[in-house]
Amino acid sequence: MNEQQTMLSDMTQALFAELGHQTSIAQAWPRIEELSLQDLLVHDDHGGFGGSWQDALIVFRTAGYHALAAPLIEGILAASVGTSHGFTGRGTIARAAEGSVTGGTFTGTIDGVIAGEGASFVVAPFAEGQSLIVTLPEQASRQAKTISGETRSQVTIKDGRAVQVAIDIFGLGAFARAAQIAGALDAALAISADYVNQRKQFGRTLAAFQAVQQSLATFACEAAAANCAASAAAEALDRGDGAFEVGAAKLRCNIAVGAGTAIAHQVHGAIGFTEEYGLHPLTRRLWAWRSEFGNDSYWADKIGDQVCARGADNFWPDLTAHTD
Amino acid sequence: MQTFTAQPIPWPDSAAALRQKVRDLIASYPINPDPAKRANCWAVADPAFSKLLGDAGLIGMTWSREYGGHERSSLERYVVLEELLASGAPVGAHWIADRQTGGMLLNYGQEEEKRRWVPGMARGEVFACIGLSEPNSGSDLASVKTTAQKKGDRWVIDGQKVWTTGAHFSHVMIALVRTTPGSQRNEGLSQFVIPMDAPGVTIRPIIDLTGGHDFNEVFFDSVELEEHALVGTEGNGWRQVTAELSLERSGPERYLSSTALFLELLRHVGPTTDSNVRQLVGKLAAEMWTLRMMSATVAAKLASGEDPALEATIVKDLGNSFEQAMPALVQAAVDLDLAGEAPLARVLGHLLQVSPSFSLRGGTREILKGIIARGLGLR
Repeated sequence: MNEQQTMLSDMTQALFAELGHQTSIAQAWPRIEELSLQDLLVHDDHGGFGGSWQDALIVFRTAGYHALAAPLIEGILAASVGTSHGFTGRGTIARAAEGSVTGGTFTGTIDGVIAGEGASFVVAPFAEGQSLIVTLPEQASRQAKTISGETRSQVTIKDGRAVQVAIDIFGLGAFARAAQIAGALDAALAISADYVNQRKQFGRTLAAFQAVQQSLATFACEAAAANCAASAAAEALDRGDGAFEVGAAKLRCNIAVGAGTAIAHQVHGAIGFTEEYGLHPLTRRLWAWRSEFGNDSYWADKIGDQVCARGADNFWPDLTAHTD
Repeated sequence: MQTFTAQPIPWPDSAAALRQKVRDLIASYPINPDPAKRANCWAVADPAFSKLLGDAGLIGMTWSREYGGHERSSLERYVVLEELLASGAPVGAHWIADRQTGGMLLNYGQEEEKRRWVPGMARGEVFACIGLSEPNSGSDLASVKTTAQKKGDRWVIDGQKVWTTGAHFSHVMIALVRTTPGSQRNEGLSQFVIPMDAPGVTIRPIIDLTGGHDFNEVFFDSVELEEHALVGTEGNGWRQVTAELSLERSGPERYLSSTALFLELLRHVGPTTDSNVRQLVGKLAAEMWTLRMMSATVAAKLASGEDPALEATIVKDLGNSFEQAMPALVQAAVDLDLAGEAPLARVLGHLLQVSPSFSLRGGTREILKGIIARGLGLR
């Protein structure tokens, strides 16, 4: 980390720890705007920080670590796409858009708008590798809650102002979720390690049992893999092409969610299953994020298709050419 | 908590050129017609290939020129290693000398021993083996019983090592033995350089379950060594061995042993419409990419002078689990006649049998997880 990144890390650690997993948009967004955090990835020409994907990794990972309930990650991604096209206010991202664009307007449906209530605009995946930026109407249409209690809306739009851009917001969403998963797994690992060092059964701490030690060691390996994958995906995005790396990172992070959440709950016993204890804000989000922006089979199929098509003789040269 | 601090990897500028050099060299070498020989290739010894690599300046890359090395960076060496392993090159003869013995001698060895062994290692002509395990000292390494006794100006070695990979073609061993009679556990241990042709050294083969011969028993019956055979400080053996094991555990060979199987799988299925196979390929590719980044991160940390012992252990455990799981996953996804001649069947048949060793060699899974648990503050 350079000096600026250390500052960014310290600043977001403090803010996200304070806002926590139960904050509201009304409470959190003014605090975020005070620091202009939503403009992290906006180019300096448009008044932003001009941050790198490594910088974004720090913020996204820290947000995951604190199970941040505010839609900051989505706001950062939306602003990075929308600001230069004149979209202002709090933006967000969505799962999919279906409809037609004519003369700078969109008519159709946007699905899975994340924290859409009160948002000004949304960036949604449109055609393959393309995104649509659309102004959101005041009234959201149908709202639902994710398993971690966050809203997702389906919004029907008639003649909304829209711009189609050659940016893969689906891939960027996948990167963001990978980074958040990496952070949340580290946090769940930390509270699990603390818990087994305190809780005693049979006259000794749970940490003294070899079976518990080996379970948490497995968890640590999965958390390490998720963190390294997210970091390498950020590096690839900064190099200018992260299509393979982002998919591989999301897939690896999805896999890590399975073992990580299962072990975290197992070593906590019944207390981890309660509403009052601080494990579920992490694990419920981890389970929700695993589905978003590509589940395991989506990315496995996509990567597998490409790797099979390139063939045996290209696999290793392709892999190494990306980093050389 | 962050057990594995990820960081951008400073790949050397020379990486692409080095890869091309290795690829050209491998392309010029007659390929072994048996595809099974490309799997787990760092256990496949071919002295002629080692000599070719030595002549090309690709062994002892980081060692001092004074001792035949090439003073390249450790990340340049890492690039060469991953190329060799990914292509399935038969690097087993010189692997241990290049990975740990040469460096151990340069760090801790006495001048006579450095001059005697290291230049030949760098040329790809002198091979080494590791004298750690004993019949009653496997994972419990601190219980070694082989002794070295000082008699006049000589050290006299008595005892036995076992599971010694490549002892039958090696020229030299660095062995961990007890120099303080009656000392307990990891106290009173020292390391010695033992020429494999010294009087009193006897080597007996141990044939593995495939009928292959990698392992040996090595007996020492009053083997006399000169004073300078002592490596490092008397009684400091445990600390030296722990550092050596870090090197032994941290390399890319800990996840690439089954690469030949993955490549044969791609060759076998081609561009496929079978979604099971596609998903398996996608998952394995994502895992391999992640492990490559983790392994290179450890290499970068080592290169910058950090001691990433915990990170290296994590990568070895994940890598071993990955390369060990792959054969069964491929077997489940692709219908194959294991008695047939299809290259994929040959590689798969071989790896199904040898892959149990992947989570044993260089520290068992249970030992590694214990080290990781200590890193988490659990013991």
